[in-house]
Amino acid sequence: MRETVITQDVIANPRSRYGNAPASTRHFITQRVTGAINIVFLGLLLYVVVTLAGQDRVDMVAVLGNGVVGIPLAILICVAAVHMRNGMRDTLEDYVAGRMYRLLMLLNTLFCLVVALAGAGAVLKLVFWG
Amino acid sequence: MSMTARARPISPHLQIYRWTITMTMSIFHRATGIANYAGMALLAIWLVAAASGQGALTAVNFIYGSWFGQLVLFGFTWSLCHHMLGGLRHFVWDTTVMMGPGRREALAWATIIGSVLLTLLIWTVFVWVG
Repeated sequence: MRETVITQDVIANPRSRYGNAPASTRHFITQRVTGAINIVFLGLLLYVVVTLAGQDRVDMVAVLGNGVVGIPLAILICVAAVHMRNGMRDTLEDYVAGRMYRLLMLLNTLFCLVVALAGAGAVLKLVFWG
Repeated sequence: MSMTARARPISPHLQIYRWTITMTMSIFHRATGIANYAGMALLAIWLVAAASGQGALTAVNFIYGSWFGQLVLFGFTWSLCHHMLGGLRHFVWDTTVMMGPGRREALAWATIIGSVLLTLLIWTVFVWVG
C-alpha cells in the first residue's frame, strides 16, 4: 500500500476514493467466514486437548492419527492461520504505515505460514506416517 | 481577593472520556486476538513435539504441565473464549441489531461475564474435577 498525502483538494473532490474497496470487502468477508469456522475449530481443539493433554505419543497417534480427527484438525489450523494473518493486518494498519507496515506484514505472513505448516504438517504426519 | 494558583488548562485528551464497558471490550477483543495469535504457536509446538518423538513430547508435557504452563494455558483458554464471544457479538452487530446504548452495553457485559464463566466451566469440568 502506497502512502498518499490527503490534501484539502482530495477531500473536497467527491470522486476521491480511499483505500482498496474490493480488498477491504474481501478482508471483511474472509474474517467473518474464517471466524465462524473457528468456532468449530475451538470445539475440536477442546476435545483434542481434554483427551490428550499430558498423554504419551502412542495415545496422540491413536487419536490424531485417525484421519476423521486429524484431517479436519489440520484444515482448521490452516483456516485459523488465515484469520490470524487477517486480524494482525487490522492491528498493523492502525498503528504503522509505509515501509514499517510492509516489513511487519511480511513477518506476520511468515509467522502465520510457519504456524500453519508446522501445526497442520505435524498432524498430517501423525495421520499418514504415525 | 487572592487568586488561587492552579495549573493552566491544557487541551482535552483521552483522559476526559468516561471509561465505558463497550470501549473496554473493544480493547479486550484486540488484546485477546493478539494473545491467541501468539498462543497458536504453543499448539503448533505441542503437535510438532508429538510428531517428532516421545522425548520431545515428554519435555513439552513437562513445561505445559508445570504451574506456569498451566497458568498460561488457563489464560489462553479465557483468551480464546473471550475472542470467540467477541466475534459472536460482531456477528450480532453485523445484522444492525443491539447497537443502542442499553443493548450494546448489555452485550458487552455478556461478553466478559460469559467468557469468564465459560473458562471456569471448562477448567472445572475437564481439569479440576475431571
